[in-house]
Amino acid sequence: MIARLGSAMIDYAKAARDLWLVYVSTIAGIVRARRSRSPRGEVARQMFSIGNRSLVFIIVTLGFIGMVMTYEACLQLSHVTGDFSQLGMQFIRLIVSDFGPTLCAMMLATRVGAGIAAEIGSMKVTEQVDALRMSGVLPIDYLIVPRFIASLVMTLALSVVGATVMYLAGGLTAKFSFGVNPNLFFDLELLRLRHVGMFVVKALAYGATIPVVAGFCGLRARGSSEGVGWATTAAVIGSSFAVIVLDFVISAAALFIFGGDL
Amino acid sequence: MTAYVEWKSVYKAFGDNPVLRGMDLAVTKGEVLYIIGTSGVGKSVAIKLLLGLLRADAGEIWFDGARVDQLPERELAKLRRRVGMVFQSSTLFDSMTLAENVALLLRKHHALSQAKAITEARTRLEQVYMADYADRYPAELSDGMRKRAAIARTLALGPDVVLFDEPTTGLDPVSARRIDQLVRELAKTGITAIVVSHDPPSIFGVADRIALLYQGVVRALATPAELEASTDPVVQQFIRGRSAGPMETPGF
Repeated sequence: MIARLGSAMIDYAKAARDLWLVYVSTIAGIVRARRSRSPRGEVARQMFSIGNRSLVFIIVTLGFIGMVMTYEACLQLSHVTGDFSQLGMQFIRLIVSDFGPTLCAMMLATRVGAGIAAEIGSMKVTEQVDALRMSGVLPIDYLIVPRFIASLVMTLALSVVGATVMYLAGGLTAKFSFGVNPNLFFDLELLRLRHVGMFVVKALAYGATIPVVAGFCGLRARGSSEGVGWATTAAVIGSSFAVIVLDFVISAAALFIFGGDL
Repeated sequence: MTAYVEWKSVYKAFGDNPVLRGMDLAVTKGEVLYIIGTSGVGKSVAIKLLLGLLRADAGEIWFDGARVDQLPERELAKLRRRVGMVFQSSTLFDSMTLAENVALLLRKHHALSQAKAITEARTRLEQVYMADYADRYPAELSDGMRKRAAIARTLALGPDVVLFDEPTTGLDPVSARRIDQLVRELAKTGITAIVVSHDPPSIFGVADRIALLYQGVVRALATPAELEASTDPVVQQFIRGRSAGPMETPGF
């Protein structure tokens, strides 16, 4: 029993080390790509795949989440104080400093993470990754670096779109369900530059993590279609988990830096 | 004769499953050697170990007088220019045309511009009678055509040794014999060919020598005629394709 537990721990430690190596290799791959002036067509293709193809999904999901959150908040407030004056101000602060990028990244972890892992996993089990190595191409440079750059840009862009939709959807819900004055709701008085800073840092951190975790899972796919399925599941779980942990770490760091002013 | 490619007491296991258990095999320059054996016996593993696509647990692998089993990835790039591989599933990149698939290799290994690499790639495709399909995508072609294009890609760098992993598996008999003919034509140009195969017409029609891999070691190494005349019951069961006999076939 203890031996089995120890063996599992060693496997996890090895996987963590390998994931770290993929991260480092990806950063090195970006430097190599800049030096060798690699074609940018693949990055543009990935930006379209990660960004444009996720747009409707992000708008719909974050719009609904915005509606549900505002509705619940209004409902609770109406039971307790009935004062909606702080609702919009607190809502936008919460969206910008946390929920906007985090919920957007959680959605992207499922759609983009699964897609990356399935594509790279299929290439792995059909020996296309070996063929890349035979062609003198490092698989990380060809498969992960373009997705990494594309995800970095598009996660930030989608987070901006998602957060905006969430805020607007919340405002409309408050107006039509509880009669909250839009001028009162769409008040940015409590929003500070540090909240915007957290938004950017979180969106970039999530954008950098999802393709690396998903690509790593894809490259570990073994066997046949079952292995690709396993890799896809692991990618969704792994990247969602990474987003939550990063959210906690960045929020805790911000609290440490800004203290009560956050 | 001195060995050009050699496996010396090579061991390889995947988890608790040992595949190669001290494999010894020497291949001479310019010969066509077929590696045969039951599924999962380690034939593909053996050739991937030579290229560093997998790492051996123990033993040594030599190519042209140099040990290659411990080379770092950067050094392996040089080896892979001299030893090419045609994979079982052709492994052409779906998002590229045939010409772009071949050109990728030329751009990376010979540092050619995209335009020059494409021109060179068309010439290579012509050698396998695929020039007319240079601008087509792999998904638009038959298995046999994809396999020929994959061979063109492998030959693009002018390798000294070509490893074929089941080149005729899944092909119709006519396409399969055309691939055999291509292997033979390559041998005439002095290229050493190591072919993993299950296909008896290929094995006995093309091979100079045949190595039968069984239980992780080379059980027999002989010319086709010698192998046919072998009195080893394991050899006879395999080459005659009999279900009953002394061979242990895990899973059956």
